[in-house]
Amino acid sequence: MPYLGGDDAVRELRRALSNPNVQSDPLRYRNTILKVIRSMSQGVDVSGLFSEMVKACATVDIVQKKLVYVFLCSYAALNPELSLLVINTLRKDCQDPNPMVPHHTRYPPLVEYVEQPLTAGLRDRAACVRRVAILGWAKLYNLQPTSEIDASVVNELYSLLRDPDPVVIVNCLRALEEILKEEGGVAINKPITHHLLNRLKECDVWGQCDILRVLQRYKPQSDDELFDILSLLDASLVSPHPPVMAATLSLFLHLCPDLPAVSQAALERVRGPLLAACGSASREMRFTALCHIQLLLRSLPGLMGAHYKRFFCGYAEPAYIKQRKMQVLVELVNDENVVMLLDELKGYCTDVNADTAQAAISAIGRIGRSYSDRCLEILTGLLGLKQDHITSAVVQTMRDLVWVCPQCSDTVCVALEGCEETLQDSQGRQALLWLLGVYGERVSSAPYTLEVFIDGVRSEASLGVKMELLTTAMRLFLCRPAETQDMLGRLLHYCIEEETDMCVRDQALLYYRLLHCGIEETRKVLHGPRSDPSLGVLIGRPAEPISQWASSFNTLEPLRQVAVETESVSRGSPEHVTTDLSVTLSGCRVHDVRSGDLSPSPALSPEEFERLWLQRQEDFVRLEERVRCPAVPHCSPQSLQAAMQLLNIQTLAFTPPHALPWRVYLYTHTQHTHSEDTLCRTLILGELLLKVTLQQQPRDDEALRGFLSILTSVLHTLTPESE
Amino acid sequence: MSASAVFVLDLKGKVLICRNYKGDVDMAEIDHFMPLLMIHEEEGLLCPVLSHGSVHFMWIKHSNLYLVATTNKNSNASLVYSFLYKIVEVFTEYFKELEEESIQDNFVVVYELLDELMDFGFPQTTDSKILQEYITQEGAKLEVAKSKVPTTVTNAVSWRSEGIRYKKNEVFIDVIESINVLVNANGSVMSSDIVGSIKLKTMLSGMPELRLGLNDRVLFALTGRDKGKTVVMEDVKFHQCVRLSRFDSDRTISFIPPDGESELMSYRINTHVKPLIWIESVIEKFSHSRVEIMVKVIQRKMKYRQFKKQSVANNVEVRVPVPSDADSPKFKTSTGNAKYVPEKNLVVWTIKSFPGGKEFLMRAHFGLPSVENNELEGKPPITVKFEIPYFTVSGIQVRYMKIIEKSGYQALPWVRYITQSGGKLLTQH
Repeated sequence: MPYLGGDDAVRELRRALSNPNVQSDPLRYRNTILKVIRSMSQGVDVSGLFSEMVKACATVDIVQKKLVYVFLCSYAALNPELSLLVINTLRKDCQDPNPMVPHHTRYPPLVEYVEQPLTAGLRDRAACVRRVAILGWAKLYNLQPTSEIDASVVNELYSLLRDPDPVVIVNCLRALEEILKEEGGVAINKPITHHLLNRLKECDVWGQCDILRVLQRYKPQSDDELFDILSLLDASLVSPHPPVMAATLSLFLHLCPDLPAVSQAALERVRGPLLAACGSASREMRFTALCHIQLLLRSLPGLMGAHYKRFFCGYAEPAYIKQRKMQVLVELVNDENVVMLLDELKGYCTDVNADTAQAAISAIGRIGRSYSDRCLEILTGLLGLKQDHITSAVVQTMRDLVWVCPQCSDTVCVALEGCEETLQDSQGRQALLWLLGVYGERVSSAPYTLEVFIDGVRSEASLGVKMELLTTAMRLFLCRPAETQDMLGRLLHYCIEEETDMCVRDQALLYYRLLHCGIEETRKVLHGPRSDPSLGVLIGRPAEPISQWASSFNTLEPLRQVAVETESVSRGSPEHVTTDLSVTLSGCRVHDVRSGDLSPSPALSPEEFERLWLQRQEDFVRLEERVRCPAVPHCSPQSLQAAMQLLNIQTLAFTPPHALPWRVYLYTHTQHTHSEDTLCRTLILGELLLKVTLQQQPRDDEALRGFLSILTSVLHTLTPESE
Repeated sequence: MSASAVFVLDLKGKVLICRNYKGDVDMAEIDHFMPLLMIHEEEGLLCPVLSHGSVHFMWIKHSNLYLVATTNKNSNASLVYSFLYKIVEVFTEYFKELEEESIQDNFVVVYELLDELMDFGFPQTTDSKILQEYITQEGAKLEVAKSKVPTTVTNAVSWRSEGIRYKKNEVFIDVIESINVLVNANGSVMSSDIVGSIKLKTMLSGMPELRLGLNDRVLFALTGRDKGKTVVMEDVKFHQCVRLSRFDSDRTISFIPPDGESELMSYRINTHVKPLIWIESVIEKFSHSRVEIMVKVIQRKMKYRQFKKQSVANNVEVRVPVPSDADSPKFKTSTGNAKYVPEKNLVVWTIKSFPGGKEFLMRAHFGLPSVENNELEGKPPITVKFEIPYFTVSGIQVRYMKIIEKSGYQALPWVRYITQSGGKLLTQH
């Protein structure tokens, strides 16, 4: 067919359709109609052919009829007047003894006229006609949502819920949901629920999912009924079809929000099918499964711990799957798998895809919050590759790590030397500058590195780098004034006199005036905290209650939501990252020994701890106390560690989660001011093993009691609220 | 579910065919899809869901097509993806190959299929066996369509029509196992699993009732027999014809089979598999001058359970990656022949027949340009493809296949076992 513009094509087709020779030859007639449909499918507006097509509808050829109805369904709404022409044929077709004819009509939405055939369609003998007619009502309603829907139709639809054909049942449910949208959807009462549950097995995957979704609204009247439903659904929970499995789990979570134990058991039961979905052949399904696993891990961090190998990335997987897998891997790390896991992640750091490589590096950084030595070793090793995108990611990761774990700063300072040469992008340079500013006194080459930056400030394009540079120069000046004074002067001069960007200029003016106020004032303003222990909570968020995410489970939301979250966390200087999670723990601070009085430094090495722990008889005060926190062993060690760190208690060793007996070793120093001048320092060592054993040196009963009350309140905070 | 419309696009984003099911999303929104896809791809944020305003595009890619579902609701993602894949499956069964050309050649059938598959945003009939009875047009061939109602529409057994007749009643059972083994550079097995499937080709008259017996460990434990080799299967999936309630209660696989070819079940076995074919490789890269590759393939000795005979692997294909700027290939092989595939940066070494216990060697030599390619290249793994007939790694066995039909005819079941590679991987140094 030669290419014709839209109008020409339509004219050509009209001529052919109204040609009596064509009309008398069924094959040619059908071919012409085919051409119309083809043009329609390619987006040509063929609505002008409506009247010709209506005529073509009056035929015995069922294929032609089918095609014409495809056309009519698309254009009927646009041509209400002309549609009247088709009514007669439609009515006749709808009464055709062959059920395939009304089935194919699909009831074009011709408001007043289609109601009668639709009503007849609901009572048709053939299931395929009933299926179409039911959805026909939904379409009709959708077209004029304001009109009152006939109560008798609604009743008819309700009665069709008892139809022998499973698709009819499901379509009824779907249509009623649509029609009764205003009233909150179809009424789910006990008989309907039980009926639907009994017929569930007969439906196809799609139908099962729809039924399970609608049933979420049902409130079982008794516990017995609830458990009957749950055991009936147990087989669907481990269904090999991921959508059915997910829909069932979602229903479980909705049915028993007050029974956390049941929800938890359900989550553990779907572990297998979920893992299978993660290995499914379709990458989209894998992605969806991963996103949902991330949701589950928010409440049950230990759920997948033993199966970490399933989340190793395949070579050919797309970047979005790899990144999700790494996010999951970070959550799964524990003492047993950390070596394997880091080894695997290290392999991803040199991935060809720069985004994947950077994601892997930042994943290592996240693990570094709990296993800093191992991770820093890998990160420093990566700097040796001298690849700009890797170096940039490593420096950013180190910045984020140091902010949370200040004990890493020594290694980081050593590693920083010389990496400015490979850094290209502004993010990486910004991170380097921040680190130089904060740890300038420990990086011997800091002023020289800074000088290179300051000399190049004229050609600097990034606003972020300029701002960071100003702050860094100021901070470095405070700790190494002799080496920095000159270049700081040059920088300020440039920024105030020549810089065109207002932000940079204002910042420079601010610093300039600040310096006028004297060095002590400047120090006060610029020396913010070097690290923020409250950020430690980010390491392992305390387990969230399931209800937090249950409503978004098995929808589109988890696929989108997490993507946004990771972006915001990984960028920007740590000072700008705020978290409201610390609020949840701030309640612990009201006791007589405040957490501020505790301090994890000077640090104790594990060997030293062991030595001190074993020599307890001689000079330690010993205290044993039972604490009742059954849920603590279920929360991840990271979140416990984070919570403890927030209160300046250093945890030293854990048994892996779910291991029995579960125990934790921890220590802290107290600095308790009894009066103005005497400062008592004591060392407290502790072992948590359902009961708390504490040892203290030297003796200070009050401090010990205070510490104990802090500890118990932390443990209770970590216990989910439902307990 | 609620997909508002389904689109099939070509690689440039041109709409080949579309079907508006609900009408609550403007059909012009699809014009935003391709630009969005490009932007996200550039930023490395590509993801199977893209959004423009309140419209979400859920898409999959199949050969040179994009299949896109649009929605403006917070719909069930896994269901939409399953549906899109179902579309691919159905179309592939109709047109053999689903690609741009087959859509254009068969757009009427595609339209009809889209119409049957979904109505008002809800999936309807998606079983291709049943659909084939509704929609009988084949491409441009115009036949007078059946005006008889397909029996399956109202049938209790939706996947099999009544009144099928064969002169000779036979069932062919193929047990096919793919093994996936991942070995790292040090030679330790990182992960291994077996994905198996049992395929049927049924040529039986009437409505036969079949029962399949496997050496399934759970069943053996259930019946108290615990002798001989048994297999523990995970993630077992059955064709819809299998009565799941019976399988759950007494592990019997009983069913009325669909006519012709079908996959009865698939399973996964997560055990430690020793690689059947082992690879040792030395790849030496001398920058600016040459790459030398030495690959050794060894097949483990295996005895067939049934026959006392050595196993033979057929069509063994070893794919060794080479740098993209390599040139002037030279090969030396102890058997089979090696070929350089420059467009995939691979050396493919094929061995037609590979007896167990043997080992073969290939040496390859490539030149490298003196000006080095600056681009960072990944280190793709070496992969091996092979097929071993009459053998299953897991040891799964069909113990019996009972065929009962009310006319009481005699039918013959045939069983065949094949093991093949699902992609055996070896990471390089």
